[in-house]
Formats: sequence, structure tokens, C-alpha cells
Amino acid sequence: MIDRREENKDRARKMGLIFFPAFDWAITPTHPEREERLLYTRDQIFEEGLMDLPEVEEYKPRLAEHRDIARVHFCIPSVEALVTEAHLIAAGSTLVLADAYMKGEITNAFALVRPPGHHSMRVAHGNRGFCNVNNEAIMVEYIRKKYGIRRVAIIDTDVHHGDGTQDIFYHDPDVLFISFHQDGRTLYPGSGFVDEQGGPKAIGRTINIPLPPETPDEGIHYVLEELVLPILKEFRPQLVVNSAGQDNHYTDPLANMRFSAQGYAKLNEMLAPDIAVLEGGYAIETALPYVNCGIILAMAGLDYSNVREPDYHPGRFSMTRAMEANIQGTVEYLQGIWDAREELTAKAVERAGPFYRRHKNIFYDTDGIRERQTESVKMCPDSSCPGYMTIDTDAVRGYGQSESGFGVFVPLFACKSCREEAREEYEAHKTDSRYNYIFFQDKNKDDFRLFSTRIHNERVY
Amino acid sequence: MLIGIDVGGTTTDAVLIDEGRIIKKSKVPTDHDHLLECLMDALDEVVGEIPPEKIERVVLSTTLITNLIAEGKTDPVALIMEPGPGMNPDGYALGGEVHIVRGAIDYRGREIQPLDEDQVKEAAAKIADRGYKKVAVASKFGQRNPSHEERMREIVLRTNPEIAVEMGHRASGRLNFPRRAATTMLKAATQERYRRFAEEIAKAVSRRKIEAPIYVLKADGGTLPLATSVDHPVETIFSGPAASTMGVLALTPPGQTSVVVDIGGTTTDLALILDGVPLISSEGARVDSYLTHIRAFAVKSVALGGDSRVRAEGQTVTLGPDRAGPAFCFGGPQPTPTDAMRVMNLISIGDRVLAEEAMEKLGREIGCSAGEAAQKVVDAAVEKLLSEINGMFLAWELEPAYRVWEILQKEKIRPQNVVGVGGGSLGLVPLVAELLGAEGIIPEEATVANAIGAAVARPTLTLTFRADTERGFYTVAEDGTTGEIRDKKFGQKEAEEMARKLIVEGAERMGIGEYASQAEVTSSEVFNMVRGWATTGRILDVGMQIPAGLIPEWTGGGGR
Repeated sequence: MIDRREENKDRARKMGLIFFPAFDWAITPTHPEREERLLYTRDQIFEEGLMDLPEVEEYKPRLAEHRDIARVHFCIPSVEALVTEAHLIAAGSTLVLADAYMKGEITNAFALVRPPGHHSMRVAHGNRGFCNVNNEAIMVEYIRKKYGIRRVAIIDTDVHHGDGTQDIFYHDPDVLFISFHQDGRTLYPGSGFVDEQGGPKAIGRTINIPLPPETPDEGIHYVLEELVLPILKEFRPQLVVNSAGQDNHYTDPLANMRFSAQGYAKLNEMLAPDIAVLEGGYAIETALPYVNCGIILAMAGLDYSNVREPDYHPGRFSMTRAMEANIQGTVEYLQGIWDAREELTAKAVERAGPFYRRHKNIFYDTDGIRERQTESVKMCPDSSCPGYMTIDTDAVRGYGQSESGFGVFVPLFACKSCREEAREEYEAHKTDSRYNYIFFQDKNKDDFRLFSTRIHNERVY
Repeated sequence: MLIGIDVGGTTTDAVLIDEGRIIKKSKVPTDHDHLLECLMDALDEVVGEIPPEKIERVVLSTTLITNLIAEGKTDPVALIMEPGPGMNPDGYALGGEVHIVRGAIDYRGREIQPLDEDQVKEAAAKIADRGYKKVAVASKFGQRNPSHEERMREIVLRTNPEIAVEMGHRASGRLNFPRRAATTMLKAATQERYRRFAEEIAKAVSRRKIEAPIYVLKADGGTLPLATSVDHPVETIFSGPAASTMGVLALTPPGQTSVVVDIGGTTTDLALILDGVPLISSEGARVDSYLTHIRAFAVKSVALGGDSRVRAEGQTVTLGPDRAGPAFCFGGPQPTPTDAMRVMNLISIGDRVLAEEAMEKLGREIGCSAGEAAQKVVDAAVEKLLSEINGMFLAWELEPAYRVWEILQKEKIRPQNVVGVGGGSLGLVPLVAELLGAEGIIPEEATVANAIGAAVARPTLTLTFRADTERGFYTVAEDGTTGEIRDKKFGQKEAEEMARKLIVEGAERMGIGEYASQAEVTSSEVFNMVRGWATTGRILDVGMQIPAGLIPEWTGGGGR
């Protein structure tokens, strides 16, 4: 087992950093995801001189290739149409750091980049929750393919449920996805409840920890200590990724939590992610400069105790009894699910029959798209094969015309018969005029194809 | 007539230029303890019988600051710093007498914690007690709001009016507090000695009845009037490599991409000229153990030169980093790259018989003939230079970028020319050029390219303008100028106009007003500030510069 995590422990500590603020890119001029977002963060981290520290190595971003996107997403109408150069650079930045990390040049890494990605699902018709493509998923699949590792843990520390990342890895038993977030009943995207636990063959590999509004540092550190770290220890991932949103902060304008810069720094120290990737966080003046400074220092193994917001003092926020009880209850319940994951998996597979099916309605808030999906996963008799999957999708933009597609997905570790059957499904659907686009994704062969039924053209990524 | 003088490690070189032609040159040995005398000897030699009124411009490139720092002859400096929230200030490692005080300014120049004046008073008293005569005061984001630095200065001066106090925002306006603090300290540590030196030079020149303006060359290839340079002493550091690079710029066709190879006795300095513009290092220069904000050409110093020690290692050789003494063919003790080049007829200086002897001796150690040994030495030297040059281009390509267009437009470029200047070891240049697929050029006046570069370099100036229309003011990072902006519609056009006006004023204050028309906008950005879904103002950043270049007397007066 090539365990970079073990190997790195004895090395001189050096974190890799890419700071890509995209000072010339915005969704719209007044959108939270605009040029100004990382301006004050730039000022703070440059003024601190963090890039000069011997413990920090700054890297230059590059553009991700279209096939890196197609390895994860079924983009409709095409990868080219869905991503701007800024998206390719944000995703490409994670790949630069992934390579540097896997080659052992650095002990850990932070992609302080925008635009973000964790709300982007496997099928992407447009922008959801400020995200077009999923940076973490693109990076994880790139690493797994290129460096041959298998078990990855993604911890989503954004205040919003990482529904895109969850969707992409929902059926993958080798990817542990843990998201803690403000309770979905009180915040976008309105999901991430304790009963979303992974597909039949991957029960317990998706763990959602909804937290009550106004949870302070203490609450999140409790969840980490009591639930996340013990599960990680047992799962023994070869790579730990922090999907690092900064909107749990007490000043964030889009959410209601009470997390501080100190809290974030400590979180990263406790979690010790191999690679962190920036997600949301829109308190651009009051939080981001301090939170990012804290995270960089913590990941570089330096003293972060002097990082604090001007209006913060220790003990400013505390937990109520009700909050404590709520969080404790959630943690206990999820511990139960994790401990029973093997039995639950066996039962779920049995219940599913030869194919597991689910229907989803997905709303793209930014682009105003309504999508309906039917997901179907082969319950392969080979217990080590996650089975291939098909997705039937239909999306309406505004009140316009609908775009429909059919995608066939072969996971990295699928068995031979699933791979063959999936390929047949793809070929068979090329003549199916109910769909505008047929997509084929074989991660095992790194083969990605998009077929347009209207013009009978196949594009190979 | 123009005069350029460059003080180098071993020789001080001077040239006299008339109508674009070098009409006289001189070389005198450098005596670091008597720099003034060296400069004047070199000057006198090129001036000769020329009537002093014919001289229009004198430019000096000196090693004074470099030597003061290297020899530890700088004045001791105490630092009072106001780090505010962020890194643990103990990590900055800025020397012995550092006092940390409470108080903070944020990234937009707002006071977020008042300065603790009692702490400053206490620090000032201790500093005065311990006999410090120089103090640097620096606050994080002091360039966005200098009020705390100004207050600290007042308090120190009240404690002891004899103390000279330097403020961070005056040393540099760029982001990076530890570098700014270090730059401020270096300025405080060298200013008095530099001023004395400048005064002596002015006197010595005027004794010679030369009334032409005197300029000093900076690390970024620009010149500053001698009188103004007293406010920027550390910027004159590393002017030697800048002089050589400007010399190459002057001696090669305009607009080309060249590698400048300045081969000395023990080190080779490499610099890049990209499309006719010398490459400035994106970060400030490292001085001694300090990272600073001093703008300098991106110069790579390689521990390899004509006098490098050659060591046998099995059947191969390694070169440097130490010096073997003069080359064997010049009566030195051991074989050197110069001997190898002599044997291979790449150069024609030095005693050929002695060179052969040196290579035979080396050949015996590694089991080959003198000719083969010489080839191995030259190959090793060329290979080393080649890999360093490729490394420099790669580093340039891999410099971090923060905008989409920067990532999209940066292409791979390779040099058209490899230009050799400096000492006698130029034999390597054609070989390196061939391997890079470039043209090898050794200009006719290669040995005094540095002095030529000094003579024809024009002034440089940068200006970093930031307007914050929500808060209603602007700042100029370089000199701490601030002013009000009342117009809520103040936009990019207005910002650029204002920046241009300010750089013209700045140039006039520095005594280089005639070059202000060369100022160009290097970056211009607008950030809409949105609070609660409404646009409340703008942050406008405009960067301007008078870039390094050549004076019109050279480019338009018969020079190339």
C-alpha cells in the first residue's frame, strides 16, 4: 500500500499552496462569487508574508483538461459549453497540488481557489449553488486513476451540504464522504440529512451531520473528536481531502453558524487533511482574511494562536443545552450506522434486487434549471464490484425547451462483465431518439464519450 | 558626453561615450576600503584632457551598500513593530532589539485596535538607554494607513531627538510586512554612511569642475539623481548585475530575447531580457539573510567562473563552488576552467604551454589526455550553465499568477541570443548558445558592458495607486501619499488619470521629471464592493512604472 500519509510523517514539513483569486472572473458583477471575494484575503496573506515562509511552497495553477472533467461529469450539452477558463483553472489547480503531493514534494496542500465546486453533481446542466464542476471530485478521480490509490475520505466542512460530492460518490464504497453543515431544514440546498447514508453497496460511506444553527467552534470540534476522527481511523483512507468552505463563520451573510478563525485553524490541525480545497465563504472582509491565514498556518504546522478577527474574543459564543443534546443525539445515531454498516449493506443489497433505482428532482438555483433524474445501479453479484450505473436525465431551463440525456457510468474498480454490459448499454442507446445526448464514462479504461443523437456525432474526450 | 562607472568585485570600469560611440574606457583595481578613490581614478582616466563642461551625465554603480552589509559595518538598528493579528511575530526573526507593541490596522487601512502608546514609550526608553541611534518602526498595513507609524516615530523622537527614525511605509508600499520591516531596518542601518559617501562623491566630482548631473544605478536597472538616492540607499545594492544587463540591452538590437551571461572569476551572473525588457524579479531581493522589497533584476548567481576549482571525481570532474586562485596559465597553482578553455582554443589569453601542463596534470588524475580533460571541464561548465538557464526560464514560466488572462497568455519562450559580457572566460558563450539553439554574441565592448550599461540607463520609477471610494480616499504605496476622493463615480479612467498625474509629480520631486512621459500603466483593476446586495463603492488598483530602458542620447544618437 503506497501510503503517502505514513511516508510523509518523517519528512520536513512543507505545505503546497495555490492562491488563485480569479481577479478577472465573476458570475455577475454583484454576485457573491465575484472578483472582490478573495481581495482582502490576498491582502492579508501577502501582508503576512506567508508565501515567503520556508514551510510554504507556492505553485502556479494550470488548466485542467476537458477529459479531467469528463472523468467525473456528464456535462450537457458538452464540457466545453459548461466550463469557462476560470473553472478549468480552479480544477487544474487542485491537479497541480495533487501531483506535487503524490510525488512527495509537499506534505499537504491547500488550493485557495475560486470558483467553487461542491454542489456540482455527476450530471451537470449548469450552475448550482455557484458551482459548475466539482473540483474535489475531479481531483480525487485524477489521483485514483493516475496514482492507483483506492480509499479516499472527503470531509466537507462547508456550512452547506456538499450535495454534489455526495451525489458523485454515493455508490462508491471506497470513498468516504462526510459532510457537516447547518441543518438542511434551515439552509440551502435543503439536503444532507442523517438518512442519506450511501447507495446499497456503500452504506455508511456517506455520513451527513446536520448541525443546529448557531453552532460554535466547540460543537464542530466535538463532532470531529467524537465521530469524524474515529471513523477516519477505522476507514484508513490513503488520502484525506477537506472540502473547505469558510461559511460556518459567525459573520457569514448566507448562513447562521458561529465558527471562528481559531475554530477553523484548529479544525484543520485536528483533521490534518492531505489536501484542502476552498469552497464557499462569503464574509469577504470579516472572515476570509483571518480564516485563510489561520488555515494556512495550521496546515504549515505553525503557531496560529495570534490569528483572530478584530471583534472576536475567546468565549464569545457558547453552546446551549439544547444544541448540545441535539448534536450528541446526531453523533450517537451516526456512530450506530457506521458500526452496523456491513449488515446494513447486506440488507440493502438484498432489498434492491438486480438493479437499484432512485428518482431525484434537482434544482439549479443559479441558472434556474429543473432536472429530473432516474438513477439505476447494477447490483453486481461480485461483492468487490460497485456495479455500473445509468442515469436518465431531463432538464428544463427556465420555461424553455428540455434537454435530455442518458449516461452510462463505469466505476474505476468495476468488474469485467459490468464494463462490457455498460458498453452495450451505451451502444444500444445511440439510436434512442428520446435522448439528445448519450454519455459514456469508463473510469477503468479512462474512456469518455459524448454522442449527440441529433447530429450523430461522437466526441471522445 | 556620457560617463558610466561600475565598481566590480575586482576592477572598477569606466567608459566615456560621445554621440553613441565609446571613445575611451578604463579599468582600475577595486579597493573596497577606498571606493571613492577607485571611482575617481576610473573617472580621471576616461576624462583625461576632455574639458569638464563637455560632460553631460555621470552615472555610478557602486558596491558600497553591498560591502557595508557583507562586512557588518552597518549601524545597529532597533525595531518597534506593530504586528496586529496574524502570524506569531516571534517567527519574523528580524534581529536582536525588537519590540512588539499592541495596536492594529487592517487591510483597508482601518484602525482595528488603537496603538498602545505606553508600550511604545517603554520601548523607546529602553532603546535610548541601550544607545541605539537608529530605529525602524513598522506596522502591519502601515502603507494603507501610516498614522500608527507616524505616532511611533513621534514618541521615539520625543524620548531622544538624536535618534533617526525610519518608517515602514516610507521604505516600501508593497504588501508583505516582514519584508517591509526588514527593508526599513536596512535603510536605517545604511542611510547615514551612504549619505556621507554621496556627499564625498559630489564634492570630489565638483572639485574636477564637472557640473554634469550625477546619477546612481539601482538594482532594477534605473538611475536616481545622487542627491535623491540618499533617501533610497538600499536600492543601490546589486547594481553590478543590473549594469551588465543594461549594457547588453544597449549593445544588442532592440526588442530581442537574450540571456545575459556575465562570467567572472568565481561566479557567473545570469539575467534575462525578454522582448527587449530586462526581467524584474517578482519578489524583492534577498539581502544577506533578509528578504526585502528592493526591486531587482531576476539575476541568478551561479558558483562557477574562470577560476573555479576543478576536482577529479573518478573519471569525471566537478567545478567550484570555491576558487582555485588565478588560472594555471596565469601562474596560478591549479588547473581551472580558464586553462581548459585555453587548451581548446576557446580563448586566446594566458600561457598556452602552462594551460597544457595543467590539463595534463588533471588528465593523469582522471585517466585521460590533456585534450580530453579540457573537453570534460568545458562540458561540465557548459552543462551547468545550460541547466541554470533552463531553470530560469522555467521559473519564469511557473511564477504564480492570480488572473485568468495571465494563465492563458503566458507561453513558453526561448532565447534568441546568449550574450557574454565581463571577464576573459567568454569562450563558453558560443557553446551554450549552440546548445540552446540561440545566437552567441560577444559584443565588441563586452569587457566594459557594465560601465556602458550604467552610462546609458535611464531612471525608473514605480507607483502603486489604490483608491477606496467607499472610504473616500486613495493611497500611493511608494511614498505614503494619501488624499481624499469625493466623487462617488470615480472609476477606472479617473483612477488611471490620477495615477499618471501622481507619477509625473513623483518624478519631478525625484529630479527625473523629463522621463515622466515614459510612464506606462502596468496593471489596472476595479473591484466592485457589494454590501448587502448593493454596490457601495469600488476598490481601484493601478500600477504604473517608468520601466528600465536606455536614454535617448544613446538610442537616438548613433547607438544601436
